[in-house]
Amino acid sequence: MTAISQTKTQKRRLPPCRAACPADVNVQGYVALIQQGKFKESVELIRRTMPFPAICGRVCFSPCQDACTRKEIDKPVGVRYLKRLAADIEREQGRIKPDPILQTHKEKVAIIGAGPAGLSAAYELVKLGYPVTVFERMPEAGGMMRYGIPSYRLQKFVVANEIAYIKDLGVEIKTGAEFGKEIQLDSLRSEGYKAIFIAIGAQLSQKLGVPGEDLGGVFHAVEFLRDISLGKIIDVGEKVAVIGGGNSAIDAARTSLRLGAKNVRILYRRSLKEMPALPHEIEAAEEEGVKFQFLATPKQIIGKEGRVCAVECLRMELGEPDASGRRRPVPIKGSEQIFEADTVIPAIGQLPQTSFLPSVLFDEHARAISVDPLTLETNIPDVFAGGDITTGPASVIEAVGAGRRAAVSIDRYLNGEDLKARRDEEVEETTWVKDWGVITKKPERYESLHIDLGRQKVSFEEADEHLAKSKETAVLEARRCLGCGPCSECLGNEGLCDADKAVVDEALCTGCNLCAVVCPYGAVKKNEAEIAQIDESLCKGCGICSASCPERAITMRQFSEAQILANVTTALGREAG
Amino acid sequence: MFKPEIIGFVCNWSLPKGVDVASPPGIKGYPKMHVVRVMCAGRIDPVIVLDTFARGADGVIVISCPSPDCHYIEGNLQAENRFKMLKKLLSLTGLEPDRLRLDWAYATEIEPFATIVDDFRNQVIKLGQSPLSGEKPDKKILLNVLAAKNAAADFRLRTLTGREEELVQVANVYGETIPQEQFDDLLYEIVEEEFFQRKIHILTKQKPLSVKELAAIMDAKPTTVLRHIVDMRRKGMIILDHIEKTAPLYKALEVQ
Repeated sequence: MTAISQTKTQKRRLPPCRAACPADVNVQGYVALIQQGKFKESVELIRRTMPFPAICGRVCFSPCQDACTRKEIDKPVGVRYLKRLAADIEREQGRIKPDPILQTHKEKVAIIGAGPAGLSAAYELVKLGYPVTVFERMPEAGGMMRYGIPSYRLQKFVVANEIAYIKDLGVEIKTGAEFGKEIQLDSLRSEGYKAIFIAIGAQLSQKLGVPGEDLGGVFHAVEFLRDISLGKIIDVGEKVAVIGGGNSAIDAARTSLRLGAKNVRILYRRSLKEMPALPHEIEAAEEEGVKFQFLATPKQIIGKEGRVCAVECLRMELGEPDASGRRRPVPIKGSEQIFEADTVIPAIGQLPQTSFLPSVLFDEHARAISVDPLTLETNIPDVFAGGDITTGPASVIEAVGAGRRAAVSIDRYLNGEDLKARRDEEVEETTWVKDWGVITKKPERYESLHIDLGRQKVSFEEADEHLAKSKETAVLEARRCLGCGPCSECLGNEGLCDADKAVVDEALCTGCNLCAVVCPYGAVKKNEAEIAQIDESLCKGCGICSASCPERAITMRQFSEAQILANVTTALGREAG
Repeated sequence: MFKPEIIGFVCNWSLPKGVDVASPPGIKGYPKMHVVRVMCAGRIDPVIVLDTFARGADGVIVISCPSPDCHYIEGNLQAENRFKMLKKLLSLTGLEPDRLRLDWAYATEIEPFATIVDDFRNQVIKLGQSPLSGEKPDKKILLNVLAAKNAAADFRLRTLTGREEELVQVANVYGETIPQEQFDDLLYEIVEEEFFQRKIHILTKQKPLSVKELAAIMDAKPTTVLRHIVDMRRKGMIILDHIEKTAPLYKALEVQ
């Protein structure tokens, strides 16, 4: 049994939200729990598959929401906000410290990099009973979640809280240990680590490759955001030009505003439609006063006395679609344009730091560690790799997915099992037909669930003061879920889906034991008097025993024979002839 | 046009969402049939189905999860085993066996579900109104259905049905199994016997009757009736009431 196959259901087909999630989070399940106002339980359910409910509730690009069937009717269910609220409620009410998990395996596992990929792999492995050590070169764990995403989007204590949970389970995190310096593959092996997972991410900014890039006042986005997170004070001046269209560019621009810049401009070589940044982030940046210059690409950075004073740009037009499906920008000759700037922040991509990686691992062409995408195995048998180091810069949830896959592979590798078996089964999605039956009319999305930014004050405090802290609103929002999947397997037994229980009439029971024979769950035992007793913790309320009992001594609390027949009578509108 | 009253006992895990679920207190549902939701098709007791027919339903369909995807591991197999007994009982009552169907659907696939319902509905429309519906139900068939219902509640039948898998597939302590055919023959034999006796029981409950009278009403040989009377007396189902001329008249006792 692997970590992932435990959570998969035998039922065919998944709801689209869950099928869309790279980390296989049971979306329908936790939404179903929130419908019942069970916020803590819903966080528990999320933790079955990934350890970052509060983080993903803030920064996830929420493919689940994009896949939501509800959008066919009005708007998708606000899944990310629900997750965030549930996680916040749990944190505010005080999370119960989990007991460390018993170590049932001897083989030590080393994980290099305490970002989302490394931490989620550690989380899965520690749950399987392995001793796990995570090595991190920075002073704090969290990777890009700690040093990449600015604090107004994701407060540091939120990250710290979720990492504390992983530590509580028994994962050891060693900070200040850099791969290639303090630790090497060989040194880890000699310390007795039987498997190594490399998840060091993509920590270098891609260079623009134009003249003037080494002038004073040019900060590359990754390093810029990391320095701010480390508490460095950077004077960005009044005018800032950010180059790029991804989330890092938006982060750099909004951070610059918070550092006192008056005039922040994002230069992007394509148009708004092609921007890879999250739509609500773009919206927020616009509202805060960030200006956008589309179809512009830098030709050179102009300096005066060794410091930036302007960026010279070329105007672009969009040509044919390229490999990414977006239209390729083509420069227009003679369209040079000059933007004044005190600071220039290129944010056009990230690259992994690779100088210390064994060359056998690294694919120079792809600029990544080459791995089998399914099993994440590398060219070296005991070394696995995942996250941004193999894919290029991606998202938290994709890194979590990679961490989970790596954990399964490492578990199998250490047990000498086939890494590939039963893993590439295709996930089938449910279908849902609009004109079938009656959909109870439910209100459109609760508007207060939309990002209600504290935009009036631009600060490093978390801006996203959403939800108006209303549990009631969240419950109503969760009820908009259509429940596309059959059973969400939310594991919230009581009262969620009419969990019924069998009841024995002891006066009628003759102790024939047939109920125990037919019960699929072994929930029936006999007492000393040979009378059947139902163990309610095992009874799932199917009613098979009730329909089998030769003495008709077993009845169901909800779906009793009388109740079923009463339903029949109501339907037929008349009593028995 | 004839609009059949169809009751669909649908397992919770086969009922597509979006169909307004008919659970207590009100039943609305898919207009082509009345959906009565249950947790598992294995919960559908043959007694419930026969009672539903007695109440005048034109058709009854039970929909469960397809094997091997039963939410309760083997509830659908239980449903299937019980259906064998149910079909046999129904065939004795004079009601068309086609008024009853067991079928399988996934909650995730609405179109196959709709196809099943439509198909069954057309089948019932062809059969027309149930003789038990309306103001004046066919007394003879109603008697049979009630007898079948009582037979389905019988200890022996229920035990045999419930233990089918154990008897046919899993060996007993001596390592013996019963061949499926032999089991089915035994089951059918008991179904017929129970049905016959329950019918006598209902008739003699109304007024004391002699063997000859019973044989005439039930269209059976007096020797057959007598054999069952002897058996029923032994079981404590009937008692000698009084003797008219030379013929003993029997009266039903309360059972179960």
